[in-house]
Amino acid sequence: MKFAIIALRNLARNRRRTLLSLLIVASGTVVALLTSGFIRFSFEGLREAIIHGGLGHIEVAPADDLQAGGSSALRSGLPHLTGWKQLRGEVESTPHVLAAGAVVQFTGMISRQERSAAVLALATEPDRERRMHFEVRMRGGTDLPDAPPAEADDGVLLGTALATTLDARQGDLVTLLGMTADGTLNALDLRVIGLFTTGLQDVDSRIVKMHLVSAQRLLGTENVSSLVVGLDETSRTTEVQARLAHLLEGRQPALGVADWRTRAPFYGQVESLYLGIFWFLGSVIFVLVCLSTSNTLMMTVMERVREFGTLLAIGTSRAQVALIVLLEAAWLGLLGALTGDLLGVGLVAVINALGIQMPPPPGATGGIELHLSSAPVDFVAVIGMMLAILGLAAVVPVVISVRLKIADALRHV
Amino acid sequence: MRPESAHAPLLYEASNLRKSYRLGAVTIEALRGVDFNVARGEFVVVAGPSGCGKTTLFNLLGALDDPDSGSVLFEGADLARLSSEARTLFLRRKIGFVFQSFNLVPVLTAYENVEYPLWIDGLGGAERKRRTQDALASVGLAQRMHQRPDQLSGGERQRVALARGLVHDPLVILADEPTANLDSGTGAEIVGLLARTNAERGTTFLVATHDPAIIARSARKVRILDGRVVADESAP
Repeated sequence: MKFAIIALRNLARNRRRTLLSLLIVASGTVVALLTSGFIRFSFEGLREAIIHGGLGHIEVAPADDLQAGGSSALRSGLPHLTGWKQLRGEVESTPHVLAAGAVVQFTGMISRQERSAAVLALATEPDRERRMHFEVRMRGGTDLPDAPPAEADDGVLLGTALATTLDARQGDLVTLLGMTADGTLNALDLRVIGLFTTGLQDVDSRIVKMHLVSAQRLLGTENVSSLVVGLDETSRTTEVQARLAHLLEGRQPALGVADWRTRAPFYGQVESLYLGIFWFLGSVIFVLVCLSTSNTLMMTVMERVREFGTLLAIGTSRAQVALIVLLEAAWLGLLGALTGDLLGVGLVAVINALGIQMPPPPGATGGIELHLSSAPVDFVAVIGMMLAILGLAAVVPVVISVRLKIADALRHV
Repeated sequence: MRPESAHAPLLYEASNLRKSYRLGAVTIEALRGVDFNVARGEFVVVAGPSGCGKTTLFNLLGALDDPDSGSVLFEGADLARLSSEARTLFLRRKIGFVFQSFNLVPVLTAYENVEYPLWIDGLGGAERKRRTQDALASVGLAQRMHQRPDQLSGGERQRVALARGLVHDPLVILADEPTANLDSGTGAEIVGLLARTNAERGTTFLVATHDPAIIARSARKVRILDGRVVADESAP
């Protein structure tokens, strides 16, 4: 005979009320699981989109460039990473590195006939991007070829919104102006070979993408801005970053290593926003479940005042009486959360199978398919959360039960 | 029923007990200066009409409540001065209660109800089982031990309550109107059981009642009226 068994039997005394309480706890559990699943999916999706959209897991660049902080896309100075081919070889021989691709970034002006626009130009090595599983979301034409273009045969990809601004289509010729290393303006004619989207309308209106060789030709330099490193697993980022930092220690000019999170402050902002929403929703669930179950536990105690009086009269300590009430709360939390976990598993599977389309997020160009990504730890954590909520809900009932005056309790009708 | 022995040591010494309650704006003086001694092994009936203060007196004797003034000494110790822990141990080991409404724990079987006081006192499994079975057998419920209270008759429930009160071998049993909710035949059986236990085990019994059958069988009768002891009669 244990207090846990007594508590469980007590819950069975009023089955309807207990079932209602379990339903409340289970519902709270399901909502928490679905919300966490959606947020986890959003984080993972955004993270992989950022990494495989061109940012890579890690960037190796001149230390002074990295110290400026923020996204590498905002760095528009002339490329000054020298000896990068040897460096690329060293980086690519590091475990878990799929490839390292040289990147040149600069700002310039693009024109087609009477139309012009300021652009952010991104020049890459397409063959290495493919090895890093980078995704170019084409919206027309073809992607950049792996082979470096011959002189006067340079191609370019335009962001979809930029193409609209320039009224440019595949096969059109555009002229890109940029500042060379010696401070003069240079122009390069490029043929539009495709249109692409980054998923962000604002970026699509000012981005162009070309082969590294084309950019170096325009800027009159052999240097690059940085090396973008792709890994076999995102979870290896910190480990490989530390290895690369060790590898590059003491190099002159100094080189720095930054991970994708440092280079994409946008991710941190989204994460903060979503976590804020999650905690707000969690607080609402917390309060609702806490109040509802506290009421149930309170009724349970008030209906059994005489019984508690009897238990105290025959030598039960007040701590043991408190334990009985707490264990009843714990059972409600545990059984309710387990039920909610089971329902949650089913609902996650159903929602993922339905392939529900969500509208595009603010600033994005396309909708996303709703997919909930729940980890086993979520199912365990939510049980802990419900036990904590029920523990809090039991505080007032426990206080009432332990402060009973035995003689009064025995007279209670 | 065992008569008071002139040489038996005193178990209870209650002196000038006063207790009042407030019911809204009205103050009810339940006890108005009760002096009362009980020796070990006595069987004492506290008789009086409803509302005369019997239950209040039992609450004070059982350390379930404290007097406004006066004192209850149990084996020389003032019950009102017991700490919370000492009071719990007193209730757990020294005293047994039998209530008018049986007050069994409804989710426990008869066996578990009787076993409960031993279990919370930390008694080992084998000894606990032996004493529980003995207590149930002594009240004639060996065959019904796995029934829950709602599956037992009123008389059976009161037997379980008595077994629960006796299982830890207390010095005294306080039985408050133990036959009030029973028919006369069952009530007589319970009274017989109380008397037999008193005679066989020497357990002190204090029984609050206005049941003439119990009063008639008792060697010592303490009569209470309006919160005062008006008579304390011992059989010759």
